[in-house]
Parts: sequence; C-alpha cells; structure tokens
Amino acid sequence: MRISVYLPLFLSALCAAASPLLVRTLPPASAARGLAAGAATLAAASTVSLALLACTLAGYAPFVAEHGHWSSEALEGHDPVPAAVSVLAIAALLLGIAALRGTVLRRTRGVRMARAICRQCHQGGGELLVLADATPRAFAVPGRPGFIVASAGMLQVLDSSERRVLLAHERSHLQHHHHRWQLLADVAAALNPMLCFLRRDVAFALERWADEEAAAVVGDRDLAARSLARAALATFGSPSCAAGLAFERLEVTRRVAALQRAQPPPRPLLACAPILGSGLAAAAVIDAATQLYRLALMAFAGSSA
Amino acid sequence: MPPTRVRESTQQGRRAAGELESEVLATLWAAGRPLTPGEVRRAVADPPAYNTILTILLRLHDKGLVERQSSGRSHTYRPTTAHAELAAERMRTLLSSSDPAAVLQRFVASLSASEESALRRLLKKR
Repeated sequence: MRISVYLPLFLSALCAAASPLLVRTLPPASAARGLAAGAATLAAASTVSLALLACTLAGYAPFVAEHGHWSSEALEGHDPVPAAVSVLAIAALLLGIAALRGTVLRRTRGVRMARAICRQCHQGGGELLVLADATPRAFAVPGRPGFIVASAGMLQVLDSSERRVLLAHERSHLQHHHHRWQLLADVAAALNPMLCFLRRDVAFALERWADEEAAAVVGDRDLAARSLARAALATFGSPSCAAGLAFERLEVTRRVAALQRAQPPPRPLLACAPILGSGLAAAAVIDAATQLYRLALMAFAGSSA
Repeated sequence: MPPTRVRESTQQGRRAAGELESEVLATLWAAGRPLTPGEVRRAVADPPAYNTILTILLRLHDKGLVERQSSGRSHTYRPTTAHAELAAERMRTLLSSSDPAAVLQRFVASLSASEESALRRLLKKR
C-alpha cells in the first residue's frame, strides 16, 4: 500500500512532464489520442488512489470501529498512511468532483447552445452554416450532424484553395470527433490538476491532426500553411477578435512551421508509452485496493480476539 | 430521422457532393455580388464540370440557401441572408455571454508582434 497507492499520482506527474515531448515527436493523431486516453486512465487511477487513502481514515474513527467491529489499534499497527494524508486525500477528492462537475457542465452546455443555434438557423441539410458577420471566424460544432460554422468575413479573406483548406480542417474535427478527445483531457485535468497542462497539449495535437488532414485533402502542405497564416492574421487584425476561433488561434506559428516541415513519422514504441503508463497505474491501484482489503480483514480478525 | 453523417472526403481532386456544395456556398458568400454559374465555376478550386456546378446551385436554391435572379440570358446566384444574419446575431450573443473557449472547446491564444511579422513574411514569399 505504501508505494502502489501513490504510484498513479507519480505517473500523472510523469505524464504531464512527458506530454510536450510526445506532442513534438509523435504524429498528431497518435499524440492526441494517446495523451487523452492516457490522461483519463491516469486520472481515474489517481482518483481511486485518493479514495483508498481517504478510506484509511475511516478505519481510525472510534465509532466506525465500534459499528464495524474493527480494531483500530490493529489497523494502526499495520497502516502506513498517516491521518493527515487521508484528510488531504478527502479534500482533493471533493475538489476534484466539484471541478469535474463544473467542467462537464460548462463544456456540454456551451456546445449544446451552439448546436441549438445551428439547428434553428440552418436550412436544408449540408455541413456549412455561414454567419452574416464581417468578423473572420470559423469553428466546428460537434453533433449528429455536426456543423462547420464560418463567417462571411472569414470566407472573404481566403481565396478558393484556402477556403478548401479551411473546410477540410473543420470537417476533420467533425469526422474524427475531436471534441470527445478534448473532453477526455478536460475531465482528466479536472480530476487531477497535475494533468492541467495536458489539456493544452491535447488541443494543440488535435489542431495539428486537422491541419495534416486538410493538407492531405488538398495535396499541398504549403497551401495549408498559407491558409492558416492568412486566417490567423485576419482574425488578429480584426477589431472584435476576442472569440470564436478554432482554425487559426491556437499556436499558429508552431502549426505553420510544422506544415512546412515533413510529417512526423509514426513511432510505435513511443506511442505505447501512454498505454504502458495507464496499465501500470491500473495495476498499482488494484494492488493498493487489495492491500487495503487485507488490512481491513486483519483489523476485523483483530477485533474478535 | 437517421443522423446524417458528414461525408468522407476523398484524397485530392475528387470531392463528395456535400463538400462541393459547401465550397459553392462559401464561394458565393466570399464573392459579395451575384455570380453566374460560369463565374462560380471559375471561383471554385479544382473546378468540376459546368453541369455539376449548375446542379449544386439548383439544389442550394431548392433548399432556400441561394436566390436566383435573371440577368440577361442567364441567371445570377447569390446567397440568402436571413438565416445567416440570425445565426450571426445568436452566435455573437452566445460567444460574448459565456466562455468562448468552452463553447468552441478551444484555447484562445494571442499572436505576438514577431509572430505576426513571421506570418506576413510567409505570405509575401508566395
């Protein structure tokens, strides 16, 4: 219990430290999926760890000992978890649950409202909804079906080939359900704040994934780079550039530079790293839970003496 | 009603019908003036056959997304604006009231002066 219960927390910190490297070296699709799934598993494991740590506190309490026929003295002798740590674990758990609720509510509510607007204003089927707005703006609204939303201002800034890139980019977000991977990362970060920087890394990888797809569709990486650059400059140049961006806002120069280089090659070994980490965390949690169960049995046996 | 899937886009050159429709609609919005089918065709990247463009314009017209006007011997097409204006207004309200990043599930970052000039240089190189 001493080591295995803390292992998922340690692995979470390791994952957070390693994620920039993974995003740089792996193909974007692998990086996005691996990090999001790995983070979610680590967050789940670390939440169970916190729950186990919190449970040990219950074993100390006299009234529990009475009602559960436990011997808290026997427990104390074997339990290496200090009461202070258990209290911290309870606090962390409560914060995590509150953050999770806030995150999920906020994200899903915003998307649901955007989807409602699209459905109301959209005519006749088809993926594109144009906003009669001069402010350059383009983003994908996920759903069944999803929508590509683009303002007239954005469409006017780009030429015909660049518009193709924009549409292909947003279409990629919808086809591959990128919002699900982002939600996984957001949930993980809410449960385990050590993973908070992972959200940005996953978001970046998802944009890169869509960039690469768009470049493949039009068959021209330079065109994709130019299209992104032009859209970004238009957005930043416009007066009300506070909101509404997906295509061009996030780390544009890094994305443009990546499109001007060759695609990163697949690295199957490195791509396995999140899976390995997750597996290790899951094993550690199972081990810790088993140990706690044995401790409880021991305490129960101690009380009947 | 079964959910309509976004069509799989194929590799360069061939586009699914839905994608072409989006491009034609985007082209009409970008033009800012009514276009003949010929002009639409010229304004679309990797233009398909004239008849394909015409079919798409007619389909968009049936959906109420474009208006058609007679201009001499041919028609000109331009997008209808009512729903687009409504959508623009509603989206503006949504994005200003709630956290935009939450709505769009994106991060908002800024562009420094050096990044901006780097991007401009890239565009000038063409």
